[in-house]
Amino acid sequence: MTGVVAKAPRDFTYIPPRARRVSEYEAVTCYTQPDPEVFDMQGWYLRTSEGRTAWQRESTKLVHPHWFDFRDPASHWQRTYVRMQGEQERGIDRATEDAASSGALREMDPTWLAEIVGGHYRVWSFLEYGLFRAFAPAQREALSDTIGNVLCFEGVDRMRHAQAIVIYLMDLEGAVPGFRDAGGKQRWTDDPLYQPARGLIERLMLETTDWAELAVVTNLILDPILAEVGLSQLVRGFGPFHGDSVTPLIVSTVERDRRRNLAWTEEFVRMVTGQSPRGREVPAAEDNRAVIQQWLDVWTPLVLDATHALAPVYDLPPLQVASFDDVLKRALTRQEQIVSGLGLASGVPSWTT
Amino acid sequence: MRNLVDTHERVKDFDWEPSYGRKVDRYPTKYKIPSKTKDPFRHLIRDYLAMEQEKDDRQYGAMEDALARSGAAAKAEERWMEILKPALPIVNFGEYAAMKSCGQLIDAVDNAELRQGYMAQMLDEVRHTNQEMYLSRYFAKHAQDPEGFAQGLKVRGTNMFNRAGRSALENFFVGDPIEGALNLQVVAETAYTNPIFVAMTEVAATNGDQVTPSVFLSIQSDEARHMANGYSTLAAVMSNPDNLPALQADFDRAFWRQHAFLDPFLGVVYDYFQKNRTTSYKEKWDEWINDDWIGSYIAKLEPFGLKVPVWFEEAKVRMHWVGHTAALVAFSAWPQQFWRFDPLTNEDMDWFELKYPGWYDNYGFFWEGYRELTDPKDGASTLSLFESMPPLCRVCQMPTIFPRIDISTCRIKEYAGKKHAFCSDACDFIFHEDPQRYLGYDTWYELFDGYSLDEYIIKNGLLRADGKTLIAQPSLDRDKMWTIEDIKALNYEIKNPLNDLTSDWVVA
Repeated sequence: MTGVVAKAPRDFTYIPPRARRVSEYEAVTCYTQPDPEVFDMQGWYLRTSEGRTAWQRESTKLVHPHWFDFRDPASHWQRTYVRMQGEQERGIDRATEDAASSGALREMDPTWLAEIVGGHYRVWSFLEYGLFRAFAPAQREALSDTIGNVLCFEGVDRMRHAQAIVIYLMDLEGAVPGFRDAGGKQRWTDDPLYQPARGLIERLMLETTDWAELAVVTNLILDPILAEVGLSQLVRGFGPFHGDSVTPLIVSTVERDRRRNLAWTEEFVRMVTGQSPRGREVPAAEDNRAVIQQWLDVWTPLVLDATHALAPVYDLPPLQVASFDDVLKRALTRQEQIVSGLGLASGVPSWTT
Repeated sequence: MRNLVDTHERVKDFDWEPSYGRKVDRYPTKYKIPSKTKDPFRHLIRDYLAMEQEKDDRQYGAMEDALARSGAAAKAEERWMEILKPALPIVNFGEYAAMKSCGQLIDAVDNAELRQGYMAQMLDEVRHTNQEMYLSRYFAKHAQDPEGFAQGLKVRGTNMFNRAGRSALENFFVGDPIEGALNLQVVAETAYTNPIFVAMTEVAATNGDQVTPSVFLSIQSDEARHMANGYSTLAAVMSNPDNLPALQADFDRAFWRQHAFLDPFLGVVYDYFQKNRTTSYKEKWDEWINDDWIGSYIAKLEPFGLKVPVWFEEAKVRMHWVGHTAALVAFSAWPQQFWRFDPLTNEDMDWFELKYPGWYDNYGFFWEGYRELTDPKDGASTLSLFESMPPLCRVCQMPTIFPRIDISTCRIKEYAGKKHAFCSDACDFIFHEDPQRYLGYDTWYELFDGYSLDEYIIKNGLLRADGKTLIAQPSLDRDKMWTIEDIKALNYEIKNPLNDLTSDWVVA
């Protein structure tokens, strides 16, 4: 066409880009969620019989003038997310297959295999599944598409890990004579070592309806402390010393997810507390900071209880690579750096340090 | 080699009986679902990721490579391309609403098998949302006329037809989560995705658009799994006889809410925006909805307690007319839209008479009048073809003139001191079952009552980059494009028909 159309916009003009131009991620994500304060001035259409609308401002205690400002630092949309996770899963599949063929799986220390991989690590699949269930409704409730999507991807991360553990143990059954994946669920539901963790997960999965609280608790407290001590430093850290090459690799893929989830949560906290460079003014910034601080104060002791309860698990591996106390101390130091970097105080009670 | 059955058993054995937390009932449901049922999702995440990645690579690869190099988007028939401007944002909200529906189903349905199926669908819906936005942006970059594609999600918010679409599709996730699954998986996905994603590709390809089919067929390849989710959810609900009375009522409502918007909308898309003509929407509807969905699926569930939706027969009768009637409103109110319209030719009209006998007697007058009113120099608009516009239905948000102007089933009723229009017995009934569900928003007329047409256009960003020419046009003729000055000269004011008691439309 000629004339006026020659000057026509050739991109989505309604998206304020994070960088100079609208990115692919922004183009396919931004404003896919309607909102009466954005382009949908008529309000919400339908209500449930109980009177609730499609989305509700009170789905989180935090307040922000425009939730759609949020951008995932990893810029993931479905295609990039699926590609990234597909590659991680292929890596796990190949490493397992190679280790099975070469006999490496059979060379694993039998106590390590039975107690840590078949026992402790299997229990972790239930913890991840519980988080998957928590993140699914969180993505439903989030007040913008860019936030809903990171919550959705994190939910899938959790289920991916839960399934990867189960599949790996099945592969071990096929490769290591006499090994059986049994009793994991009972350990999760009955073993006193895991009850504080189960209590924590059940509260997140069943009672925590604030989607921002879920993200803050999981990514700023649970992962940096409980997952760091109970998973990373133990399963990944001790594994190679017990002839285990594959389990640490699976955990590494989960740590990659964890770094991504930490990064977006940090970005999110900066946004709601008015610390984003070039971000808009957030009138509720101080109140938001206080709410997040309260979450840290309430949940950190629960995460610490769940972590402390795992101390005896550190006595199970035949080779002592690191002590539980040292590992916990390092994790707490690192976690304190994360939260203080956001202008918040660690929620670790003074009597524990 | 892993035993597949055993693997699936184990990955679906994650749920446990909680003892420390008490579940907050975020999404109350009246249904009782057994904790173990048939498994609708026979994939591990690992396999799922590999499969979806391959599909993505194929589809996006084609768009970025062969289709881009051949300039495919610019070669399509303009008439066809115009309707994609409103259609893609509407369908896109359906995908987004479906993602939300899956999130609440995962929370509400205590069944490990179903949860895993919902999880994969949740990620599929992100996929579809992204694919359709990618397609819209692709057209903004490559189509002959990008205006309308570039503004898509902004202008959908206030557009009369996009609003009606959102109103129907919110049923996926605002309400009892099982009612949402009925709307989404059993009705919209099982009945309507074939006409949307399969049959529409035929129309697109016939009209030179090779890009839309590559996206839509890739989307549809996920839909079979969603239909399986719908079937498994339905089977789980039906396995408990106590659920049946509520199920029938929710299913009846779900069918009507989807039909009331999707069928007039799809009728307009198919029949009024084909240039190179192929089958009619009615033919597709008979094949996919009547024969396949009802005949081969729903009707066979009767022995198990689910009947064909109570308003299905009424819908079937309406199908002969609803698309044409919706087209009258859309075309006559063209300045309010964000796409261009192409007047029907004599050949088009012959096709309509052939496919829909009796069409000419009922609609021919309008189309002959319409093509005389497309030149701004004449100073008259198609809005003048009607004395006033019809009110909007309080429930479905569609104009209340269905099935046909002269036999409209519109009725006006008062509720809580306010007048409300209803398009049909069904919407009337649905409203009075639970009025509070439909009273929390303004209709398009309530919102814009008293605006002059030019004010409305400016306020809603419906002008092209020159700040003068309308995005919408009554024809594809580039030498006869309407400007805001032409609209001002019409001196047309938007009036809520419900405030005008003398209007023909409000005679119940």
